[in-house]
Amino acid sequence: MISVLTRVATVALGGLLVTSGLAGDNISENARKLHFSSIVVDTHDDTTQLMLDTKFDLGARQPKGSIDIPRMREGGLGAIFFSIWIPSKVTGPTAVQKALQQIDAVREQVREHPKDLVLATSAEQIRKAHKNGKIAALMGVEGGHMINSDLGVLRKYAALGVRYMTLTHSGNDEWADSSTDKAVHGGLTDFGKNVVREMNRLGVMVDISHVSDKTFYDALEVSWAPLLASHSSCRAICDAPRNMSDQMMKDLAAKGGVIQINYHVGFLSQEFRNAEKADPKINEAIAEEVAKRCGSDGNEGCMLIEGDRITREYVAKGVLPRVEYTKIIEHIDHAVRVAGIDHVGLGSDFDGANMPYGMEDASMLAKITEALLKRGYSASDVKKVLGENTLRLMTDVERVSREVNANK
Amino acid sequence: MRSRRACLSLVWFLLFCSLSIGPARADEIAERARKLHFSSIVLDTHDDTTQRFFSKDFDIAKRNADGSIDIPRMREGGMNAIFFSIWIDGRIMGPPAIQKALDQIDAVHENVRRNSKDMMFCRTADDVRRAHAQGKIAALIGVEGGHMIGNDIRMVRIFGDLGVRYMTLSHFYNDEWADSSTDKPAHNGLTDYGKDIVREMNRQGIMVDISHVSDKTFYDALEVSKAPLMASHSSCRALCDHVRDMSDDMIKALAAKGGVIQINYEVSFIDQAYKDASDKLSGGVVAIFDQLKKECGDDEGCMGKKMNEMHDKAVADGKLPHVSWERIIDHIDHAVKLVGADHVGLGSDFDGASMPEGMEDASKLPKITEALMRRGYKDADIRKILGGNLLRVMEQNEKVSRELQAQ
Repeated sequence: MISVLTRVATVALGGLLVTSGLAGDNISENARKLHFSSIVVDTHDDTTQLMLDTKFDLGARQPKGSIDIPRMREGGLGAIFFSIWIPSKVTGPTAVQKALQQIDAVREQVREHPKDLVLATSAEQIRKAHKNGKIAALMGVEGGHMINSDLGVLRKYAALGVRYMTLTHSGNDEWADSSTDKAVHGGLTDFGKNVVREMNRLGVMVDISHVSDKTFYDALEVSWAPLLASHSSCRAICDAPRNMSDQMMKDLAAKGGVIQINYHVGFLSQEFRNAEKADPKINEAIAEEVAKRCGSDGNEGCMLIEGDRITREYVAKGVLPRVEYTKIIEHIDHAVRVAGIDHVGLGSDFDGANMPYGMEDASMLAKITEALLKRGYSASDVKKVLGENTLRLMTDVERVSREVNANK
Repeated sequence: MRSRRACLSLVWFLLFCSLSIGPARADEIAERARKLHFSSIVLDTHDDTTQRFFSKDFDIAKRNADGSIDIPRMREGGMNAIFFSIWIDGRIMGPPAIQKALDQIDAVHENVRRNSKDMMFCRTADDVRRAHAQGKIAALIGVEGGHMIGNDIRMVRIFGDLGVRYMTLSHFYNDEWADSSTDKPAHNGLTDYGKDIVREMNRQGIMVDISHVSDKTFYDALEVSKAPLMASHSSCRALCDHVRDMSDDMIKALAAKGGVIQINYEVSFIDQAYKDASDKLSGGVVAIFDQLKKECGDDEGCMGKKMNEMHDKAVADGKLPHVSWERIIDHIDHAVKLVGADHVGLGSDFDGASMPEGMEDASKLPKITEALMRRGYKDADIRKILGGNLLRVMEQNEKVSRELQAQ
């Protein structure tokens, strides 16, 4: 009941903010102060694919996409997990090489922007970066297929700074089922369980976004450390297999985990999802248009960003419904009610998904703080959602890593 | 009681006399050499022990009946810094080569981690000195063959970030961008991409290793590299005319730019008679290598073992001549006479080659110090050869890396 009322109120507010123009405008002084003194962590950004183009400069404001240093500064984004991602269908040693290329691309951007960026591999290093006025750059590997069933490769990713791995992407890998593929392993295989334990030892967070429900429950049982959902939203609001059910969120939270809300419109809005499903031709047409603009040789960076732009063209034509950024707040609020204030964070999927209106890029993030304060969240609760929960999770994962290593 | 104690004292006295009277001068040198050796950083830039990590029968913490390297024998021989070689057949290329290299790098990391009381993973000359000060063996990594980057300059940085501190530009076969000394020239030395790779190695502080490469590749690398080069495991052509060794001119050119040649102990690289006989018997190193490859397949650890079995049998059958460890000293001495004591070091090729008699494993290393002392080498020069020179080259590479990264 309350949620219906607040939803109506926030949608109205959201409309107001968008029409007012410039990002960050109309943010109350109170919200602004809170936001820009908090450590804002985003656990999922697909900007990495763009970095593979050696001409791409993260230091320059980009005309497209959602992430670059100027806009991160403007939106007070203090820590970002750059996603290492290649499609599930790319496997074997080629997947390893491509993942390493992306890891190198992130490390190169950090080396090229020492005044703005610092590579961080622990919660403490994120806090230190924040203190020094730098943006902490971290890495997450989005899909277990990139280790090619080789724990040695997993260890080298960790050595290179990777701090979470999503157990699968959209397809099953050799040892874990995905939520968007036909189940073949019944969750995690025995090797998959070993992968999870080795991740625990290495201090690499186990990310259960993308995985099947059974894989999630297997990981929850096997992992000695709390889990992360790096970019997933709530099924209760939008019934997508990529989102988490209330029960899953409760179980995740009971073991100290955190769900990081994904801003992708197809995961936020049931209405949008229904429209997509009602006419599969829309997505086919979008895919066709993307291929036209990016070629079909797998220029993933271009494909992700053009996908978002073309989707917006369809929204403008009225073919797909318009989704406001306030939907993000609804998901945060729902997750907080179900899982508790200590178990929710932000995992935008910027540069890798279709963003709602009013959250086009990182410069708009202070709106989340403003909206949560308006909903009556306390300053310390807002800080938790913005980043402190993720930092606590990292600290717990680091502690488990030390304990496991001490016992070996 | 008393008489027994007196008796014991007399025994000790006689024992002491016999020790100190004997060949007094020789033992004095031996003792001085021992002291010098065991207080020095003794650094070996090339050991193929890495492949053995994948065998369940091998444990580096225990004394092994075969091979040349393990912690007990390194301790016994005072070897306290080792470059574990990352090596796969030069014909494995592309993504599989990258993953296999990664697996070997991981095997080194994991073995060091499991033996952290004895070993410390090192990336810099300072790290090596710190390990030495703590009584630990410094473990470093070199990638033996440019084919392992999969023709992808990004992998140079990835390897560097994982702690690789030298890369040999090629192995037995040409790779995509550099000619090998034991293959038909295809690139006339280094390609443009190969030159970029050398520059990137400079930027990352990864030493450019010119062992194995063709003479033209060597001269190209010498011209392009902003940091001194190293030959991680090569000996002198003047004493044994093998393409894998360096000519006097090459050694001089290497030294003139501050580089260092690390003498290889492989019998066919140090002894002309052995090389000639081996060429006649089995067609040379590459032919032997191919034969081993047939027998062992992808089991790299098996190849070293089989190689030694073949060598031992041929020597026992009188088909190949005996080679004494003292040939190593001849090569060191030749290089020192040519370019001075600042440009020579040790790159044994233990666990990856056939060792001369008397240098079967790491425990025998003090012999080198003693032999050099007997040849009249100054203590300071011996320390340089044992490891000081290589540390200097590492430091220079680190300095060039800092300068290039600051630009």
